[in-house]
Amino acid sequence: MMNVAATEMLCWNAASLLVAVEPEDPKCFAEGMRDLTCFWEEEGSRSPDDYAFTYMYQETNEESSKCALTAQSVGGSKTRYICRLPSVQHFVPLDVSVFQDGRLIYNRNLLIDHVFLLDPPANVTVTQTGEQEQLRVCWLPPALMDMENSMMYEVEYAPTGSHMGKRESVRARSEIILHSLQPDTRYNIRVRAKPDGLSYSGYWTAWAPWVSMTTPPAEMDLLILALCVVISLILILLSLTLLLSYRRFLLKKVWPVIPSPENKFDGLFSVYGGNFHEWLGVGNRGFWWSPTFLLVEESPSPLEVLSEAGFTAPVPVHPMPFKALGLSKKEVEEDERTGGQDSVLMGRRKGKAHPHWVLEQLQSLDQPSVPCCELHTLEPSDTYVSLNYRSQQDSGAMSPLADISEESLPLQVLFESPGTPTSFSDLESVTYSSGSGEISSQSSLEYPYGAWPLKGPSYISMTVTDSGISTDYSHMSWGTTGLGDLAMAYTNEYKNKVPAPRLPPHGHTVYSYY
Amino acid sequence: MQTYVVIGLVAVLLIVLEWTRSGMPSVLKPVCDPRVLDRFIREAQDTEVAMVRLCLSSCALSLSLTVPLTSVDFVAWDKKNVQEQAQEVQSGLWLLGKAIDVVRASVSNTALQSMLDNSYSNIHSIRQVIRTLNIQDWSPSPTESASLDTRQVSSTPELFRVQTNFLRGKVRLLLSHAPACHRSSS
Repeated sequence: MMNVAATEMLCWNAASLLVAVEPEDPKCFAEGMRDLTCFWEEEGSRSPDDYAFTYMYQETNEESSKCALTAQSVGGSKTRYICRLPSVQHFVPLDVSVFQDGRLIYNRNLLIDHVFLLDPPANVTVTQTGEQEQLRVCWLPPALMDMENSMMYEVEYAPTGSHMGKRESVRARSEIILHSLQPDTRYNIRVRAKPDGLSYSGYWTAWAPWVSMTTPPAEMDLLILALCVVISLILILLSLTLLLSYRRFLLKKVWPVIPSPENKFDGLFSVYGGNFHEWLGVGNRGFWWSPTFLLVEESPSPLEVLSEAGFTAPVPVHPMPFKALGLSKKEVEEDERTGGQDSVLMGRRKGKAHPHWVLEQLQSLDQPSVPCCELHTLEPSDTYVSLNYRSQQDSGAMSPLADISEESLPLQVLFESPGTPTSFSDLESVTYSSGSGEISSQSSLEYPYGAWPLKGPSYISMTVTDSGISTDYSHMSWGTTGLGDLAMAYTNEYKNKVPAPRLPPHGHTVYSYY
Repeated sequence: MQTYVVIGLVAVLLIVLEWTRSGMPSVLKPVCDPRVLDRFIREAQDTEVAMVRLCLSSCALSLSLTVPLTSVDFVAWDKKNVQEQAQEVQSGLWLLGKAIDVVRASVSNTALQSMLDNSYSNIHSIRQVIRTLNIQDWSPSPTESASLDTRQVSSTPELFRVQTNFLRGKVRLLLSHAPACHRSSS
């Protein structure tokens, strides 16, 4: 039995709860199995005697009973009138009527076992379950007899500070395990109860006070860790295998090979250390006999030898030296036709008719390219030496020649006796008949181009171009007509270091002989 | 064919286990489960609601039915012993059964008939449940039946309302506090 005085002040927040959810008047609720409290609120502050509260159970044939009213002022202007029934009967309809000054103002038919408003669940405790992301919530069911199996509960939980709470319903059990919580988070939890509606029914209780508990921190599951390690090992092995099998391909892609000209230049880098000039001096020059390929610093100066000797028969040019030099026979013939005007003579003489010696001479000139077979046309700026030979039927006296120094006479031509047809074994052998010969050098500037003074068919003209061409006469030797000594005397180093602007194509040596 | 044999064997095994278990007081009987009665109560509530819908126009009966009182005053109820409570429950169930039977005979509506049949079988089952709880079956004698606390109803919805309240109240209280169910926990 509850203390009547105490119940008057008991949980009037419960009354405010009811006001929110119960539309009918008077609002009645049962807090236990043996009571019923009904109330209504009115404006003003009238005495409870003005009202009459009567009730009657349906099954009794008795007259309706009256309930003693008490008044309570609420919120300033309102008054709450309260009736507490002394005894109640459940499972039977109750008919309630409220009269104000004899006039019925409220009437309601209700079942008392349907208007339970109990206390909130007590002793709410929250504990960790030992599992991740879980919490267990326990509470005491209402102490009312026969109510334990007829209750349903609602649990609200939210992380501290969050406003989004989740709710879980529980039936007939007074504990619940919350799942899928955030690890290492503080949660606030509260519980409320309500009869389940089958046997007993009622209103939601007030919420129990908040209870807090922190979820256990996240742990790395050992199994997951082991799986991750194994999978990563497998991936590493796979990638290593791939890398090793495609090693070369990948290296080529990532670190492309820098092309090296090593394979084309045999021995250039290994033997000569990259010194191109030295490498050129030995060996593989056969590849580079292209005259247009490389610039030649030194090339033989073309000489046109004009001979005034009475050569009747043009000296046939032996085709071999031309071939040796790569000259075409056609060009030689052409040169013959032009009469030696544009003939170019290499500043070399040879006594022997040896193609290989020719090559040696050419190489010794330290030229990258062999004098080619083109006809060289004299530039106006070219200097030439024209040798005038006064024909002297000399039997080969070489005395005039002996006076000639190396440097004073760049070239001396000995002319062969006209009557002797000379067979030239090579291009460079120019046999001259003995005889004094004057060498007069004339600059080509004196003559316009093309107006070459044709001194006669007997002239063998040699043109020395002063165009910065160095000519190595070191290996010159005279022809077989006994000029070997003279050849030695005429080692003439004619080196002109200043390159001319219009360097003639090098190595052009055309010999034309009259 | 073989699956049927297996199912039959399993059923026999379960039945045997149930028989052996029934003699053991330590194990809670299945009838003690409140869900057993809750099912009946739920069915009675559904019937009551359906009856109200069906009988909007008129389900007035020509004759009046005798139904038990459903009200429970816990103060008084707790003072009664189990026997008295059982007697009260069983007499009420008997009365209800009789009333349903009377209504069933006089109603021609097929839907109503099915509902009445269902209710009658439920009453019968509840009496069976009480019997399994070692509560002696009781039927009032004609002299006792006159002194029973009864009241009269004259409509079918009212009858089913009484039935629902009776089941929810007295019957449930009796079963939930039956000694047979509490012997293990005492």
